[in-house]
Amino acid sequence: MDPKGLAYLGAGIGAGLAIIGGGAGIGRLAAAALEGIARQPNAVADIRGAMIVAAGLIEGATFFALIVTILLAIK
Amino acid sequence: MSALLLALLLQATPAPTATPAAETTPTPAAESASPAPEHPAAEAEGHAAGAATPASPEAHAPEAGGHAAAEGAEHAESPADIIFHHVMDGPMFGGAVKSKHLLYLFLVALLVIAIAQLSVRSYRGGHVPKGLGAAVESLVLFIRDEVAEPNIGHGEGGKWTPLLCSFFFFILMAALIGLLPFSATTTGNISVTLGLAAISFAAQQWAGISKYGLAGHFHNLVPPGMPVLLLPIMIPVEILGMFTKPFALTIRLFANMLAGHMVITTLLLLISLMGQLHWLAGAAMTPISIVLAVFIMLLELLVAFIQAYIFTLLTAIFIGMYAHPAH
Repeated sequence: MDPKGLAYLGAGIGAGLAIIGGGAGIGRLAAAALEGIARQPNAVADIRGAMIVAAGLIEGATFFALIVTILLAIK
Repeated sequence: MSALLLALLLQATPAPTATPAAETTPTPAAESASPAPEHPAAEAEGHAAGAATPASPEAHAPEAGGHAAAEGAEHAESPADIIFHHVMDGPMFGGAVKSKHLLYLFLVALLVIAIAQLSVRSYRGGHVPKGLGAAVESLVLFIRDEVAEPNIGHGEGGKWTPLLCSFFFFILMAALIGLLPFSATTTGNISVTLGLAAISFAAQQWAGISKYGLAGHFHNLVPPGMPVLLLPIMIPVEILGMFTKPFALTIRLFANMLAGHMVITTLLLLISLMGQLHWLAGAAMTPISIVLAVFIMLLELLVAFIQAYIFTLLTAIFIGMYAHPAH
């Protein structure tokens, strides 16, 4: 088992897992935001602002994992 | 962006050559599977001379202004090499400038200062500002009223607004400049984002220490009314938290900027990779890749705004946490 091959394998699986977590988190966020907008349409601006901020934070966490996988793939 | 040049690079390379660019991270090993070594004999001779011929299917690329011809002299080996050559730091103008990202750091800083000076100009004589001044004013007011005041609070938002505006405009301008051809995104370098986060860290500490003194600042770390038994846990956690916050800011900004540019470069790289198989595949891939790359660039515009806003917002929140603890 070539360590380079294992590293690439790890990078691929890691990227997949990272996007599962990130996608699920942002999906839940979007669902909650849309439900909030449906319940109270005049709060769209507030909800949109909060949604963007939360999405950015979740993306940040996803990118931590992504950096690790990229490091695995290139070294 | 660089479809034409990437095609030229890949197809004009028979032998592996170490990239002479001084990069902040080591060049990845060139043994990774890539289409380039699989077609050495057939393509090398034909394309070394007539590199213009396979470029005709890729000539549709309007953004193929591409990167400077000085970089065409470097022979990248594999797709990973090419991607990293484009998104990582390196020399420009044939070695006259040692680091792209450093040059653009200063350029963007000068640009932000210039924009600020130009917008202040429209205020002279007490006029109502128009044009650039009005646009910048609306952003500055947004930062003061929506970001600084609510999060730092107690009337101190105005004191911290200049710093927050500096962060916001710098990150925004750096991201926007990075989308132009022939340029680099300075915030795509972890040293740059680390520097920004270090300034943010210093601002947070200053916010606490200037109000409560050094001992008082650390005393404020633990909320009042905490049972003494929890202190051995709370103190290391809070101290660690002091350092993880700027670290998170660093990585978030760096990864967002890097990932966007990597995706764009990869999509455009697909054109030449497909072109390696068959020129028709390359020609078919070109419009798809270009549409996708344009879409991702538009997304990058949005991400630029959002990341600038998030960095500024989090800095304001952290400053508020240290300036007015337990509120």
